[in-house]
Amino acid sequence: MLFVLLLPSLVNYASFQYSNYYLNQQKKKVLSVIDKNGIDYYLQGDSAFASYTMLKEEYISLLPAEDNHVRDTIETAQRIVGEDTLNYRILTHQLTNKNKNYILEIGKTTATINQYNRLLQRFTFYILLALIFVSIVIDLVYTHVLLRPLKKIVQTKLLNKRFPFKEHLSPVKTSTTDFKFLDQSLIDLMEKIHEAFEKEREFTSNASHELMTPISILQTNVENMMMEENISEEQQEKISSMMKTVNRLKKIVHSLLYISRIENDQFAKSETVNIYQLTAEIMEELSVRMETKSLYFTNQISSNINVKNVNHDLFFQLLYNLINNAIRYNKENGSIYLRDRYEAGQSYMLQIKDTGIGIKQEEVSLIFNRFKSGKDKSEGFGLGLSIVKTIISFLGFEIKVASDFGKGTVFTIIIPQDMIEVSH
Amino acid sequence: MKVLIVEDEKSLAREMKLFLEKAFYICDKAFTASEAKKLMVENEYDFILLDLGLPDNDGLELLNDTKKMCPNASYIILTARGNLEDRIKGLDLGADDYLPKPFSLLELQSRMQAISRRKSGNNDPIVEVGDFNIDLNKRSVKFEGKEIELSKKEFDLLSYMLLHKNRPLTRLQLSEHIWGSFSDDDYDSNYIDVHIKNIRKKMSAHAPVDWLQTLRGIGYKIKL
Repeated sequence: MLFVLLLPSLVNYASFQYSNYYLNQQKKKVLSVIDKNGIDYYLQGDSAFASYTMLKEEYISLLPAEDNHVRDTIETAQRIVGEDTLNYRILTHQLTNKNKNYILEIGKTTATINQYNRLLQRFTFYILLALIFVSIVIDLVYTHVLLRPLKKIVQTKLLNKRFPFKEHLSPVKTSTTDFKFLDQSLIDLMEKIHEAFEKEREFTSNASHELMTPISILQTNVENMMMEENISEEQQEKISSMMKTVNRLKKIVHSLLYISRIENDQFAKSETVNIYQLTAEIMEELSVRMETKSLYFTNQISSNINVKNVNHDLFFQLLYNLINNAIRYNKENGSIYLRDRYEAGQSYMLQIKDTGIGIKQEEVSLIFNRFKSGKDKSEGFGLGLSIVKTIISFLGFEIKVASDFGKGTVFTIIIPQDMIEVSH
Repeated sequence: MKVLIVEDEKSLAREMKLFLEKAFYICDKAFTASEAKKLMVENEYDFILLDLGLPDNDGLELLNDTKKMCPNASYIILTARGNLEDRIKGLDLGADDYLPKPFSLLELQSRMQAISRRKSGNNDPIVEVGDFNIDLNKRSVKFEGKEIELSKKEFDLLSYMLLHKNRPLTRLQLSEHIWGSFSDDDYDSNYIDVHIKNIRKKMSAHAPVDWLQTLRGIGYKIKL
């Protein structure tokens, strides 16, 4: 850095040194000419002599001088040459010839010196650039080699790893202890996460199963009560509301079991599903609901798109839940649009858009959480969207939500390109 | 019709027995696999309702054994396990149907009815309701020989109510039958009203349908 900062003055210094040297050389030449040919070679009988090159870059002058001895000096000064006043680097030398003292001046314009200077500066600048470039390349190669294990750790342990990290991880080969430590910590961490997840899943599954039997008993009891012959209308209504409560309990347990079954890999992903047919199937199932709310429905799904390696029932449930929500949270005379986009080489996108009540901005991120409900607590999101999220991640899709509160919601399902098959 | 209920949960077995006896089935209860086997040696059953989680034996094993002892009986598996594998295994072993717990007793009876109808061939009579003839096999509703078109769901609803005639049926029970596992609380049961309205509209154009009663705040009932 210091070198770079000092560079201009260094170059300056070097070029002045060089010009001083040059002037000294010129002086020696002149003196040797005088030695050989006598001073008259220059003076030609005059008492003084001056000569300059065409462009006044250099000049030489011989002037008679007083006795007092002046030492050789080199300085920068102005001289009038011809009609121009120019800056020169001047070497002054006193010489004695035939008992007469002369002062010899040899000058060189500083402009010329600066030219050297600039050239030299540019040259060093290029060298410097080249040096920087070379050192960057060396650094990159070096760190690339040195950090290769780190890259591998990131690749195998962090990137493209899907929660809950089911597959077993093997350590990356490296001789660096720090990397080994990092790698091992990551493996341990993921195993812990996986274990915790397994425990939770097992708990959900077991607890749900355990709840099934008591709920069965409750339900059959209530059903039998409902059929008693001598009960009043009032009692019947109470029993009916009990039935609803039991049913709610049942639905929650069912949903939890369904989610844990998906997470348990109990559904095969071996079917190929035509998206248009699937949506048409769901629409038929739900048509009465749409009619009741006078909803306007548009299905613009391309008829030739198939998705392979999926489970039909899960895919059905996924779209059913989303479309059912689009109906449920819609307004009278509202609309529902189904549309898709697919370009070869890109992911397939399926959109479900409604003109319903929408979701508040701060709640959009919460809708997929189990049992999370909005601030007002009046209506929970239930487990329908948790199921959606579970199916999405099981099938390897992605889902995005955009909502405008009071205006409507758009759910976008993104299906990887390698699962798409276009039929003709 | 004779039914054996194999269920280790005593209160559940009791409720099932109570319900089925009202529908004129004759019921025996067994709480363990060995009790069940003993009863099967002594009696001939038309239906065996089998819980998979028995204390002394796995229900699927029992099914395998009893199929030989009571080959003519119809088997319905009742289970809280509810995974697909058990279901397929059960049906492979010769079970006629599979009902996951918790189930509705109405649904159980409707499944039993469907099995009897299937096994007895086309013997099921055409049901007369008011001035209408309803053929449960051909799924048709006729008035004076003229067919009335009902949608699939409307017919399902009508036949379910016919099966459980003279019983108050809540919207919930009806929607559970129509939508099964997709049924979604109170929200869905409101659509039952829409279906009933459609059934009434289509049929009352021909003859009165006062046998289809509304129970305020509860649901519906077919009174015959």
